[in-house]
Amino acid sequence: MRGGPLFWLVVILLPGIHFLLRVGFGAGPLAPDFLTLALLLAARELSTTRAAGVGFGLGLLEDAFSILAFGANAFTLTVLAVAGSRTKDLFVGESVSFFLGYLFIGSWLRYAIHWVVAGQEVRRGAGRVLLVEAPLGSLYVAVVGVLLLLATGAVVREAR
Amino acid sequence: MPPYEVDGSEARSRRGLVLSSAWVLASILLMVLPVPVQQGISAALRGTLLAPFLWTQESLSRTRIRAVEIEELQARFDSTVALLATQSTLGAENAHLRALLELRERSGPAFVSASAIRPGTRGSESMFLLDVGSEDGVSVNDPVVAAEGLVGLIREVGPRNSLALDWTHPDFAVSTMTLDAETFGIVEARGGTFREEDRLILSGIPFYTTLEPGEVLVTSGQGAVYPRGIRVGTIFSLAETEAGWRRGYWVTPAVRVGSVTHVLVITGEEGRPVSELTHLWAEPEPELEPEVEPGIEPDPESGPESGLESGLESGLVAGLDAGAGGTP
Repeated sequence: MRGGPLFWLVVILLPGIHFLLRVGFGAGPLAPDFLTLALLLAARELSTTRAAGVGFGLGLLEDAFSILAFGANAFTLTVLAVAGSRTKDLFVGESVSFFLGYLFIGSWLRYAIHWVVAGQEVRRGAGRVLLVEAPLGSLYVAVVGVLLLLATGAVVREAR
Repeated sequence: MPPYEVDGSEARSRRGLVLSSAWVLASILLMVLPVPVQQGISAALRGTLLAPFLWTQESLSRTRIRAVEIEELQARFDSTVALLATQSTLGAENAHLRALLELRERSGPAFVSASAIRPGTRGSESMFLLDVGSEDGVSVNDPVVAAEGLVGLIREVGPRNSLALDWTHPDFAVSTMTLDAETFGIVEARGGTFREEDRLILSGIPFYTTLEPGEVLVTSGQGAVYPRGIRVGTIFSLAETEAGWRRGYWVTPAVRVGSVTHVLVITGEEGRPVSELTHLWAEPEPELEPEVEPGIEPDPESGPESGLESGLESGLVAGLDAGAGGTP
């Protein structure tokens, strides 16, 4: 991935867009989870410590609207950021298909970790969250993420 | 043999792992913090970094309502004016009688109107933000109602905004009774597989007490949080029976919380908690059929006219006559 200035500008703007769409415009799940997307993209470029710090900060912002599961988003995004940053050492993929898979799995993990730590009171049925909501939401994030990467030139489509 | 030295990149990696573990520990610490501290952090973030987004939703909500519901508001305004016109004489008469009996003027329940804002973020289900706070007289545990009935209650209060939970919240529970005050029970939220399936359940009903579908439930006033008489919902069907000594009923909620945009916060009656609101959600009394004497044809024009309409019309006519200098 070539993280140029445009890429970083988009990554920095994404959390703002997330809250603008979900909180400001009240779009809810109709808007993709730009917070997770920004974190997953940034984590590939940042060191583990910095990525964890970014995850903690973004999660804390999301937790500001949570009563029963305060801290669950912070924990989820911190762990996700650490995992995302560590993937640099395991996978050096630069292709569209790699990022499609990376964003899909990362986003699905976000649902899964949050479901585990959110607690009994907030938790919905596992089947419904992990097999219906999470795959759909993750696919949404992955497709939007790849389109953004292509638009910013961070990822170039492979020539056939 | 040279001494073994840890490779620089390995040391960095180890340090990174330790520091990132510290972030993870910090996030775990957030989850176990005392609730007041968590609320303080949330309120600070909502009041600073997230304030522009809340302000955006509030502005959009107000604009949308102004644009779309203006006709409805005009109709409600007209109805209110009509109601006031018909009740003005009753009010004056009541004040006169109170003065004769040397009774203090009774103040009505205090309501504060507010816009309800739903954050739409993960973990924020079952709660909403209100654009009123302690400066408007709102305090923790104040009930939140809509025109249809009970919505929830205030959980956190800031100077100019507050956080409320609705009836879908797992912590929600309210003591209710039937309109005839014969049967009492606790209504609680019961989450469905999907959020649209969230329902209320009435529990603690004696086995030999049967409630019919459609029966209205209102708050009983027990527990000192909710005043008596706020509509909660209607009985839908029998949900469970426990060993022949207790029944539970599914309740259709009076308010569908997803569609609520404007609410009223009941802040009390001049500092005192409101204790009786049954009249606000009570069914209108059936009108008595006028007795028609045999041989007299009823006037078809005056027959179906309601008291409200006739009062408004007569008031307007009287006003026009007075304005034109006509006979009183």
